[in-house]
Amino acid sequence: PAHDPTPPLATANPHRTTYRTTMACFKSTYADELVATAAAMSVPGKGVLAADESTGTIGKRFDGIGVENVEENRRAYRELLFTTDGFEKYCSGVIMFEETLFQSCKDGTAFVDLLKSKGIIPGIKVDKGVVPLPGNTRGETTTSGLDGLGERCAKYYAQGARFAKWRAVLTIGDALPSAQCLDDNARCLARYAAICQQNGLVPIVEPEILTDGAHGIDKCAEVTERVLSCVFAHLMTHGVMLEGMILKPNMVTPGSQSSQGGSSASREEVAAATVTALRRTCPAAVPGVLFLSGGQSEEDATAHLDAMNKGDQQGRKNPWTLSFSYGRALQTSCLKAWLGKESNVAAAQAALLRVSEANSKASLGQC
Amino acid sequence: MATLAIQAHRPLRSTSKNVRPSKRTSTRVRSAKSPTTGLGSCHGGAFLSDAEKAYLEKVASMIGTPGKGITACDEGPGTIGDRFAAVGIENTEENRRSYRQILFESPGCEQYLSAAILDPETLYQKSTNSGDLFPKVLSDRGIVPGVKPHLKVYALPGQDGATVMQGLDSLAPRLAEYKAAGCEFAKWRSPLEIDVSAGQPSDLIIQANMRDLARYALICQAEGLVPIVEPDISLKGDHDLETAVRVNVKVQSELFKAMLDHGVYMEGAVLKSNIVNPGKACKTKYTVDEIAVANLAVFRRCFPTAIVTANFLSGGQSLEDASARLNAINKHKTAKDPWNLSFSWSAALQMPLFQLCKGKDGLQLEAMSELYLKELAIASAAARGEHVPGAGEGDHAIA
Repeated sequence: PAHDPTPPLATANPHRTTYRTTMACFKSTYADELVATAAAMSVPGKGVLAADESTGTIGKRFDGIGVENVEENRRAYRELLFTTDGFEKYCSGVIMFEETLFQSCKDGTAFVDLLKSKGIIPGIKVDKGVVPLPGNTRGETTTSGLDGLGERCAKYYAQGARFAKWRAVLTIGDALPSAQCLDDNARCLARYAAICQQNGLVPIVEPEILTDGAHGIDKCAEVTERVLSCVFAHLMTHGVMLEGMILKPNMVTPGSQSSQGGSSASREEVAAATVTALRRTCPAAVPGVLFLSGGQSEEDATAHLDAMNKGDQQGRKNPWTLSFSYGRALQTSCLKAWLGKESNVAAAQAALLRVSEANSKASLGQC
Repeated sequence: MATLAIQAHRPLRSTSKNVRPSKRTSTRVRSAKSPTTGLGSCHGGAFLSDAEKAYLEKVASMIGTPGKGITACDEGPGTIGDRFAAVGIENTEENRRSYRQILFESPGCEQYLSAAILDPETLYQKSTNSGDLFPKVLSDRGIVPGVKPHLKVYALPGQDGATVMQGLDSLAPRLAEYKAAGCEFAKWRSPLEIDVSAGQPSDLIIQANMRDLARYALICQAEGLVPIVEPDISLKGDHDLETAVRVNVKVQSELFKAMLDHGVYMEGAVLKSNIVNPGKACKTKYTVDEIAVANLAVFRRCFPTAIVTANFLSGGQSLEDASARLNAINKHKTAKDPWNLSFSWSAALQMPLFQLCKGKDGLQLEAMSELYLKELAIASAAARGEHVPGAGEGDHAIA
């Protein structure tokens, strides 16, 4: 839809503009809708299902359960997920891959319509994957997909998507992430976010710092704070409206090969280090912080989220919702139960529901 | 309230002027035996021990006691002299001492005061009531004593008169002295002015000032003092509230990023910022509620949750306006605003006191003390959102 460059709120009274829009230094025609969508995605007790595996990645999941990676199987699997009865109690939105956004159920109901009818917001992964950074000798990457992004966003909005996702990937190492890697990834995230908001999509901003490495939790905390600080500085420069975005960060954990062990820092330590990092860097205007699971087991991903929401000894409250945007940590049991068989659909859906409910409780600190 | 037991502890740093601070590196190697919870031992505050961090956090939270605020009495002898001269008071050391005494010792003032900022001269003056040095007088009453080290303003060349504050070079040994004298915090004020047509505050002015504030904060913490960082954007100008919001967000974002980049321990720092207001000469009317909402909007966009309190300066606002605005800000607070929001006032509290001396002979200490307590009660009520302002107070009316 063509959008009027002069937002209605500003013309209503030239001497008065509501602070929701002026704060942004960025006036989008969609401002109200973006804020409402981001708020809906940040309702405590709900989270987002990351079902946006690209064709290649879902192939890896299917390999693990002996399912052929063909379009019909991909469609059938996502139909299994979306038709799970009661799933909407724990799920505010689903991130989809482009192919899925345009697919339908066996009975012809479009996935977007099915989700909307259940009050689940459809979302879309819009990045085109990581590419090596030119001149970078350490194998660091940036994420591609900015070219033509505006047009694609408009197309996805017309199809029914109301939020998008873009994943930047950073690695901890000796003198890593480098300034080049950090700067470029943060910049791309900010431009992606601004383009999304111009086109009616709430951007999920995902700066994922991989757990790869032998570093301790301290190092991860330091890097996470540095990355988030840099990301928010770029978001501000690009005039992104914080009230209309979602942050999807990693949790602060020891490296997977650290002597402390991949997950042997206590759950409380992970929770405390993660919340500390956010309290230092994530502005209160952001409505929701929805964590990635990044390869954590379903149990760990739930337990960590729960520990964060149980709060700290000083009883301090956080100004953003802390919830989940999990892929593997929601789907692992489900995939294992399904094995590609129609007769297993009920069991697979039950598994999804069970894990979703656990994470819903975790987002309320009620596990 | 109990006296500050912290004072009895061994000072964290050597109190001798000539001893250098012990070497600290940002990548401290921890012994295998020490617990590595990872909390705060990286990036922010990496140069501090757990005990030092806990101390700074404790002092910051005491400064941010809900319902209480800061009495800012840190005018240098020259500045306080101007206030004295305006009402015919002689600028003697005794007058400065006895005046500050009522600001610290008015009976019951401790119910309203979490902290006091002193000029270095005052640190070494004594109360005639107890004979104690003023820092001890304050901490015995549960009012955290702090200091404003002397700073010198300097117009940055090529910036249309916009300034930076000089004072970093000699800061560490001076802070060590003030710490030894009983201070628990320090304050550094970086004034900025909005002049839209001149493009001020420019990116360079903002960067230079905020980096200096960040470095000052780091030095404070290394010397065992909580830094109060004060980016003070003046009321001067005719810019509207929206412009003020944008500039405040830009300045404060830059400040907190600089602090993070410098490795400042955020949980052990305090903000003293201006209330976000339209320029004094702005031709658009705003209600006190619009002003309040704008203030919360700025904080939500850039003020880290890790910093527990912001104590607003008055900056030329009357006590009535400042209180009405602080009150409205607190009334409009929601779950999105976890910080304590209170006052750190000098002129707003003190100017009416000086008016009592006009045409009289010398300082009218008793009358000033009585009025001071009434003012503090108002300030405290505003900090709790329980003040009842008069009609129109806090609104921006067209001059």
